Amino acid sequence: MTATTTAGRRPLGPRIYGFLRSIPTWVLWVLVVLWTIPTFGLLVNSLRTRDAQRTSGWWLAWQDGANGFDFPTLQNYEAVLGAEATGGLANGLLNSASIAIVATIIPIAIAAFAAYAFAWIDFRGREWLFIGTIALLAVPTQVSLIPLLQAYSSGVRMTIPIIEKTVTIIPDMGLAGTIPAVWLTHTGFALPFAIFLLHNYIAGLPKDLFESARIDGADHFKIFWKLVVPLSIPVLAAFAIFQFLWTWNDYLIALTMIGGNRVALPATVVVASLAGEFGLREHLLTAGAFVITVVPLVVFFALQRFFVRGITAGSVKG
Amino acid sequence: MGRVAATILGIVVAIGLSAIVFIGINKLFDLAEKRFAIFNAAIGGAASLVIFGLLWGNRLIVSPLLVTLIATVVGVAVGLGLGLVRHKWARLGIGLAGGLTLGLLAGSALRSVVWPSIEPLAALLGLAAGAAVAAISWQVARRETALVPLLSFWLATGWLFGGWLAADFDGSKAEVLLASAIFGLLAGIWVGTVPYPSGETRGGIAAGSRKYIFLAPALLFITATLVVPLARTIWLGFLTGTPRNLAWAGLTNYRDIFTDPGILDLSEWTLIFSSRLFWAAVILAVIAIGLGVWLGRSGGSGLGTGFSLNAGTVMLIGSAVVLFGFAVFSFIRGTIPNNLWWIFAVTIFSMATGLAIAVLADRAKGENVAKSLIFLPMAISFVGASIIWRFMYVARPPQNDQTGVINTLWVQIGVWSQSETASATISAILGLIVVGLGYLAWRGWQAGNNAVLSGSVVLAIPLVWIMYRFLGPGIGGVAPSPVTGEPIADPILFLTQSPWNNWWMMVVFIWIQTGFAMIIFSAAIKSVPEDLLEAARIDGATESQTFWRITVPQIGPTIGVVATTLIVTVLKVFDIPKVMTNGNFDTQVLANEMWQRAFTELNFGLGSALAVVIFLGVLPIIFLNIRRMQRERLR
Repeated sequence: MTATTTAGRRPLGPRIYGFLRSIPTWVLWVLVVLWTIPTFGLLVNSLRTRDAQRTSGWWLAWQDGANGFDFPTLQNYEAVLGAEATGGLANGLLNSASIAIVATIIPIAIAAFAAYAFAWIDFRGREWLFIGTIALLAVPTQVSLIPLLQAYSSGVRMTIPIIEKTVTIIPDMGLAGTIPAVWLTHTGFALPFAIFLLHNYIAGLPKDLFESARIDGADHFKIFWKLVVPLSIPVLAAFAIFQFLWTWNDYLIALTMIGGNRVALPATVVVASLAGEFGLREHLLTAGAFVITVVPLVVFFALQRFFVRGITAGSVKG
Repeated sequence: MGRVAATILGIVVAIGLSAIVFIGINKLFDLAEKRFAIFNAAIGGAASLVIFGLLWGNRLIVSPLLVTLIATVVGVAVGLGLGLVRHKWARLGIGLAGGLTLGLLAGSALRSVVWPSIEPLAALLGLAAGAAVAAISWQVARRETALVPLLSFWLATGWLFGGWLAADFDGSKAEVLLASAIFGLLAGIWVGTVPYPSGETRGGIAAGSRKYIFLAPALLFITATLVVPLARTIWLGFLTGTPRNLAWAGLTNYRDIFTDPGILDLSEWTLIFSSRLFWAAVILAVIAIGLGVWLGRSGGSGLGTGFSLNAGTVMLIGSAVVLFGFAVFSFIRGTIPNNLWWIFAVTIFSMATGLAIAVLADRAKGENVAKSLIFLPMAISFVGASIIWRFMYVARPPQNDQTGVINTLWVQIGVWSQSETASATISAILGLIVVGLGYLAWRGWQAGNNAVLSGSVVLAIPLVWIMYRFLGPGIGGVAPSPVTGEPIADPILFLTQSPWNNWWMMVVFIWIQTGFAMIIFSAAIKSVPEDLLEAARIDGATESQTFWRITVPQIGPTIGVVATTLIVTVLKVFDIPKVMTNGNFDTQVLANEMWQRAFTELNFGLGSALAVVIFLGVLPIIFLNIRRMQRERLR
């Protein structure tokens, strides 16, 4: 009955046409659902008991109660964060935080100065130095891993040619297997991108600003602190968020530089080694994966605007 | 709680120290103009500290802390003196006294392992070389700089190399005292004869030093973590042996890489031509060309070549290219082809899906929510994403219920395909849709709208194929049991069945990177000038024509940027294969191969060579980026 009344109001042709016009939106939302299902499924499964996970898919979680399983339950989270089960994911989260915070702040500070120098201090060879720095953006991490690990574990030595004497440039400081080694590595790898991103913004600040400050007798250091830093907050935030997620989510550098030193491993490596077991504790993986994902998701939803700006501006990260 | 406190303390100390050092240096150079003595004292102390710190680090001095402290104090004193005194001979005296003191201090503290037995000939050679360098640089500077400091500096350097370092280290205490005293005296002449800087020079130091101070930390870090390690990795690639005992091996590592069938296996390439994928690609390409040429002629809206580029033909050509690539990569196996397959598939699919979503979402209701949700995987770690998808891909034994989303659907499709009524119903629904598409195609043809016509035809192709599978040979995850012959569940072993397990891992990467492509394309589409689109519409262009003729050319550079970025990211894919299969079941990729060779087998030579192969892969893109930057900065 309702169908005929609607049909009465609008002729068939426009109705079909309207339906066809809305197809793209439907396709879009189907894709959105497809893209969200994996994460959503993980979240649901992480709240189910081991036996429930093994007998039915997460979409049947609503029947768990009837089948005698607890749902929702936090027991996976309790187990995975407890030290004895996993070698300490709680400890790993602490390490992740330590790595990500320092490896975000240090590159920002260093890169901001360098970006300012590239943008507003004139000197010979500036153009080439800048292009050379930015060209390193795409250099893959892999080419640095072996020499850096060698340097961290046994220092840096150089043999002077002709006279064949070996000199220690950096002594063995026992950095291998420690968090500072990860800080240093992340800082170095982040710099080309950071300089690129910050330079684009700082170079775009109005020129009159600098000239009037110079006339007032401000030197570069003062201009930097009093003018550039306050004006660059948006881009500094964009880079900070990008770098924080990058270092929090990093697996390769932490795995290589910390290796066997279990107390210093960040959460990603702890969870990945849990995944490598293929064993009894597989049900804990859901909670483990969700725990390491929560922090990036919170950062992402809270500060999405800045993150998107970082990604858009710096779409050449290596 | 102890660990939390220690972590926070570590963070604060690391950041605080860096800040103090940096701000301190900035403040220090501010003093150069007005308070030169303090500045000079600090520089003197720092120079002594660095030199004696190096000796300390090399474990070359006895009671290092005390000696370094004394040396630093002497350095401060010399710097202060030279910063206050302007009289020529007094300055020389301060320099000589300071140099001699520091030289004798070093000479008496050095361990016997560096006591030289001075060879007069080598010493003379060193001094002569130093003098020659000094003379040349004096000429280069057009004789405008003072000769004595220049000469003494290079003589000191020449003596250090020729008189000391070139000698055998089996000399006497007297010789080490002599050697260090001579070095100290020559260095003392150098610092003592440098004239007291004028106010202008001091101001120059304060202002001109700023670029170095601002750039130094960044360049230092980049050199230490990227430039030098890159050079060293290239060098290590030519060596072989254990990490402590590496020997020259020439190109052996590279030969090993390219002859290892696990890394590159071309033996099955002829099978490409007998694969169904290959022939499907050929058929799709033929249809695409036929459709494009026919529409180009009849519609008259081609690119001038008589070929109609629209949604339908583009989809067909894209599918043909993808199928062809997959046919090739499923028979050419090994680590390197795997990497190429990753690059091929991830780049094409991420860009196509990202562009499609960007277009679909543009000005749609709830655009921001949709884009956020698609973009969300970008924030998730590769480790997290790998685990998320492992649960999507779970394959349980046939007698159990499937718990993975995809296998559940796949088995359900198989069950339907086994049941006559279900397959008839599904085929009827699909048939209705195909009829609808046929009607649309007819309407499109009548209206002269090529996009609607070819798009409908192209969409109908897979539907017809699925209908055929339902009615004919069957589809889905059900197969006869090898024991009883009864149909039982036959889930896909996503991560263990080669070669397609590679593709299922690529899906994870595509899931992540689509958001990236989408966000960039979306920004580019929104920046296409509205009046261009308006003008096209007024001229009677359809939505599809405006898209292909205006939007796509306008976002052309962005497409290039996204493609190169994706290629660079995919080339070094590591986490996903490492976590999902660890390179087993024929899913090895270069980055993981490199990691295993270098860090589990400790074969630094081969590992470095593999890293160099990855580097060579991005080299063209580095050059492209440099060229693009040069062009942009010229404008």
